Amino acid sequence: MPLSAYVTLSGVLFAIGALGVLARKNPLIMFMSIELMLNAVNLSFMAFAHFLDSVQGWIFVFLTLTVAAAEVVVGLAIIVSIFRSRTNIDVDELNSLKG
Amino acid sequence: MPVLFSQIAFYVLAAVAVASALGVVINRNAVYSMLSLIVNLLSLALFFLSLGGLFIATIQVLIYAGAVMVLFLFVVTMLTPGGQAQQGDDPLRWQWGAGIGMGVILIGALTWAGVTGAIAQDAKAAGLNSLTAAMQSFGGNTEAFGMALFHGYAFPFEITGLLLVAAALGAVALGRRPDAADE
Repeated sequence: MPLSAYVTLSGVLFAIGALGVLARKNPLIMFMSIELMLNAVNLSFMAFAHFLDSVQGWIFVFLTLTVAAAEVVVGLAIIVSIFRSRTNIDVDELNSLKG
Repeated sequence: MPVLFSQIAFYVLAAVAVASALGVVINRNAVYSMLSLIVNLLSLALFFLSLGGLFIATIQVLIYAGAVMVLFLFVVTMLTPGGQAQQGDDPLRWQWGAGIGMGVILIGALTWAGVTGAIAQDAKAAGLNSLTAAMQSFGGNTEAFGMALFHGYAFPFEITGLLLVAAALGAVALGRRPDAADE
């Protein structure tokens, strides 16, 4: 398959993830959509690494995986602490930083 | 014939990936979204495999679809009580229209950039070290990755360790009970 097929697929997946962040109001699903976007970018990194015969794409995917893991840990901790103080985690109603 | 097979594999995997991505966004129940996301991660791991990234595909399955998603699933099941799925009217309904519009624009722009080759030319101009040469001289996929990581990119790798420590400490600090803070 040509490179453009992979880049197009990656763009479609990224757009679906962006739609999820914009349209859903459950922060857990917004979080999953962020993971979708990260993985869409990983796919294009892997495709470029393959077609340009470079190892740099792999390094970036590795770093993205690490950052995604860190992001999941901190984000879930924040969501759990919000849930503990409010029992409702609808983002449309979360308009105050004070606990 | 192998070209034909790889094309069929691409289309099947692409259909699975897009369908499961849509499943993440559309499902009302967060647990189903979660399972859909795991299908999406596994299909992307197969893409990585077909692109020659054996090591990356392996850590995608082991770490991402395995460890990270298990943590995620714990929190999702903890925070999704049964009756919470049906809610009242969406107060910000116009966001769906805005989101779909933005998504279509994004797909168009990225597809244009991919098809016209604007991105690929930029990347080619950056001057890159050869993957096949590294795999031949170091004797394998994982070896080539390891040599690149620890020779060319040792400093970013160390920063990654710092990031993970900071994330773990942050999660512990956020997870403490408020009344335990005084002691």
